[in-house]
Amino acid sequence: MITLEHLHKVYGDKTVLEDVSLTFPAGQVTSLIGPNGAGKSTLLMCMARLLPASRGRILLDGQDIGRIAIADYARRVATLRQVLDFNLRLTVEELVAFGRFPYSRGLLTADDHQVIDESLDFLGLQALRRAYLDELSGGQRQMAFLAMTIAQRTDLLLLDEPLNNLDMKHAVQIMQAIRRLCDEQGRTVILVVHDINFAANYSDHIVAMKQGAVHSHGPVAEVVTEANLRALFGLAFEILPSAHGFVCNYFNPSLSRELV
Amino acid sequence: MMRRAAWLLLPALALAFLLLGSGLDFSYVIPKRLVRLGAIVVAGVCIALSSVIFQTLAGNRVLTPAIMGYEGIYLLFQAVLVLWLGTGSVALLGAQGNALLSIALMLGYSWLLQRWLLREGRGDVYRLLLLGLVLTMVLGTFTQFIQLKTSPGEFSILQGLGYTSFNRAQPAQVLYSGLLVAAVAVLVARGTRVLDVLALGRDQAIALGLDHGRCLRLQMALIAVLVAVSTSLVGPTAFMGVFVANIAYALARSARHQVTLPLACAVAIGMFLLAQLLVEHLFNYRTSVSILVNLVCGAYFLALMVRTRGTP
Repeated sequence: MITLEHLHKVYGDKTVLEDVSLTFPAGQVTSLIGPNGAGKSTLLMCMARLLPASRGRILLDGQDIGRIAIADYARRVATLRQVLDFNLRLTVEELVAFGRFPYSRGLLTADDHQVIDESLDFLGLQALRRAYLDELSGGQRQMAFLAMTIAQRTDLLLLDEPLNNLDMKHAVQIMQAIRRLCDEQGRTVILVVHDINFAANYSDHIVAMKQGAVHSHGPVAEVVTEANLRALFGLAFEILPSAHGFVCNYFNPSLSRELV
Repeated sequence: MMRRAAWLLLPALALAFLLLGSGLDFSYVIPKRLVRLGAIVVAGVCIALSSVIFQTLAGNRVLTPAIMGYEGIYLLFQAVLVLWLGTGSVALLGAQGNALLSIALMLGYSWLLQRWLLREGRGDVYRLLLLGLVLTMVLGTFTQFIQLKTSPGEFSILQGLGYTSFNRAQPAQVLYSGLLVAAVAVLVARGTRVLDVLALGRDQAIALGLDHGRCLRLQMALIAVLVAVSTSLVGPTAFMGVFVANIAYALARSARHQVTLPLACAVAIGMFLLAQLLVEHLFNYRTSVSILVNLVCGAYFLALMVRTRGTP
């Protein structure tokens, strides 16, 4: 699917990514985790072609992404960044229609309308389709943006902190949607996520980053261990198994003193 | 409803402007007025398109291309001309020569600015804005400095050039300006969907497959042509574009450029017509179009803001 070879990103004399080589498994959900400033978002932005890498290559199905026309790239890779202040007066439907821009350059065909409909259905947004974005809650707006990204019909989706500023219910809805995208439609999703519990319970694969380098990566069970997370975040973790997945507890300072 | 009213109002205003108190004098009064009407239409289209596109690129609704220093360079050029050639500069170069030189100068300025800042595909709009703002101030200071060296008679000419006026335009100038603007308008009309995507911001535009740097350079070039034409035709308009664009957004209730751009043109033309009518018939040239436009639009915009409770 997508492979990174010796990727470096340098700003002035500050190294943000140092020699990152990775292969992301196709048809799986991969979460990028790690402390702030570890280079997770930078890595994602390089893959999205929003930032040029300083050195190294990124290959999409064996092809250097720099050699793919940007208009073609948008039909293979969809990116969603954090939705910050957004003040355009658009309806949900109009926003989702932008997802078809890579195909029809804005002149919607019957096919496009069907894909827009399906994307709205997929996230349960039909009731809101004529609502204006500035009238929605943060969670609903994030869902609308995700629907636009889904409407791009790409094999690969890159999501930069899709759970940022969301309440628990919306966060769960978004993660369930991502899971279904992968399980039902066979798409590959790579996302940056800060909540270790969402990463652990909803992804197949985890890439942990620290100080611009890959700290560890692999299937969830290999990466999400008490010892590994402690080394990654510098915090004591207690992993509590339950009938429906498991919970990583890092909230007790007293516990940290015992374990560290 | 409001939109249809706006479209109907326009021909009515144009007719009133042509015929009011003309005594149906088709040999002198009406041809003269047709030239002014042409200047109003061309300048209105320029200001509306350039302001809306500029605000889309900058992602900001309180800016106009005036912030880039285009008008600053025009005024500086006029000041240099007057200082160098005296009050005879107008006669010496002829109005055409002056207008064409001004257009060339503003386009050259814009080309340099973009080449310098947007090279290597760095599409950083904020750096461009900052530099434009600083240059505007520097150019303004130079102009003031030159004005100090001029005689009172020359100074009053320069002062006159600093205001928007539809009375300076010559028939030939209106004609070639109109043709140039029509060509640009065709390009703009073909790119409204790209503008819609650009409005989502750089990252989302790239994610949707736009070559952001190239689109930005093209749109900035179109803006430069529009501003150069309108400034050489009717003088600086400073921040009138803010009113035009925001009134259009409020009336459109849609962010799509296919709707907002024509509406902004109608708003600009309508408000210039109204202001010129008032200047000619009510105030007998004792006030200027700039002052009236700012007064009328300011009041109307405030009313819109109050009515829609701050979400135009």
